[in-house]
Amino acid sequence: MELSQVRYFITLCGTLNFTRAAEACNVTQPALTRAIQRLEDELGGPLLYRERNLTQLTELGRATRPHLEAMLDAAEAARQAARASAGPEPASLRIGLGPAIAASHVASAIRGLVRLYPEISVHFEEADTPSLAEAMLADRIDCALLADGPGLPERLNRWKVADEGCVAVLPAEHPLAGKTKLTVDDLANHTLLVGERCGGFAHRLRAACGERFVQRQCGGSWVQMLDLVRAGLGLALLPDGLTIGGDVAVRPLVEPPLNRTILLTLVAGRPHGAAAANLVKLCRARAAVAATAP
Amino acid sequence: MRSLTEQLRLRYSSQTAEVQTAYEAMVSELARSGFIDHVLAVGQQFPDMALPTAEGEMARLADWWRRGPLVVTFFRGEWCPYCRLMLAALEEALPEIEALGASLVAVTPETGGRALSAKRRYGNGYEILSDVDCGLGLGCGVVFQAPSDYRTLLLGFGHDLSVRHGNDAWFLPVPATFVLDRDGIVRWRFARVDPTQRAEPADILAAVRGLAAPATD
Repeated sequence: MELSQVRYFITLCGTLNFTRAAEACNVTQPALTRAIQRLEDELGGPLLYRERNLTQLTELGRATRPHLEAMLDAAEAARQAARASAGPEPASLRIGLGPAIAASHVASAIRGLVRLYPEISVHFEEADTPSLAEAMLADRIDCALLADGPGLPERLNRWKVADEGCVAVLPAEHPLAGKTKLTVDDLANHTLLVGERCGGFAHRLRAACGERFVQRQCGGSWVQMLDLVRAGLGLALLPDGLTIGGDVAVRPLVEPPLNRTILLTLVAGRPHGAAAANLVKLCRARAAVAATAP
Repeated sequence: MRSLTEQLRLRYSSQTAEVQTAYEAMVSELARSGFIDHVLAVGQQFPDMALPTAEGEMARLADWWRRGPLVVTFFRGEWCPYCRLMLAALEEALPEIEALGASLVAVTPETGGRALSAKRRYGNGYEILSDVDCGLGLGCGVVFQAPSDYRTLLLGFGHDLSVRHGNDAWFLPVPATFVLDRDGIVRWRFARVDPTQRAEPADILAAVRGLAAPATD
């Protein structure tokens, strides 16, 4: 495949008109038509139905389009990255963080990006998954780290950046702090703090093991929940991806095993700024675990 | 010491008939479509792009070629036995390449830290860039889509490229090696549709030597 062929095809997907696509690409229509034919030959079938008044994508065309678009976008992002020192810098990068998701999952990629764009400012916004998905679709944030689960809009491209396990956080002097790891039986009859913005492990433990705990509702984020733990109001179940310091004990919960997957997400089928596109590349190149298909 | 070409030939001859059949179908289809005619050619400008390094920095190819001759080679991934032989042969040739004032970088569509693991396995001496979604490969005209029979074969071996690449496209580079001058112009090129054929390090070295030496005519 050649870059020009792919560019012509993606333009044609937008115009669905050979004449207008040729104009937009600044080539003659026969040249555009030949390039598309060669691409079709290589990909093994027609990408478009050519009828007199109607040009439409074939099933192969529809299936191949997102892949070709992603490749073309990757080429453009790589060009922009090469010219980063010459061109105007992208002013900011806005990253959404789902409940109890640490920015550390993208920190090394941000470091790579800042070397490219030394003046860039980085903003984080913490919110629940639906709000962040909406903010991405409305272009108020560039990308977001979200926990995998039902309810992620299909329009989001997603790549796994981490698998997280569950830790129990308890006051340092708590009797359970003497154990190196904990099971659900250890937690029975203790008070669990349950919040909506803390990673969901307490809810899942209840769903898996029933009502074997005393519960205390806790609004706010995991940071406030930790303050309640320190005050002796109960135990918190939090993702092991968080950096939890201070005078508390952190012990892995090994039985039942509770996990969640952290995804880097970004709206599909839309051009992204140079900063976001290259951040995603840096994350995908390095992520310690493999990506998931959307 | 066997040449790389000889090692590749021996490796291929050890494959099962099923594997060889899938390879040959893919190779003959690419040859029929005139694929190589559209690969970036000698005399053309290499794309000025920046890609993630194995360590997670963005590296600009032009920063290498401005310092001296640059060898850029595409490979499919460590899952590919022919790529492994090539990467090892390049590791061996690296001191001579560097002695000529040249640099070597290898480029792969693999993601998820696989560039780093390859870099470590092959001596940590040359950079391996992650061409996420094949943007550079597209700019060089070396990318094709793996045909469905070949995908099935790879999946059977446990090589799920949708996981390794982080996309479902199944795009791969053909074997291609470029030697660039200080302006990023392609001065020598090796490109084949057959994944079992690779640039022989001795030929790469000869091309680099030709660039490094001052013109005599």
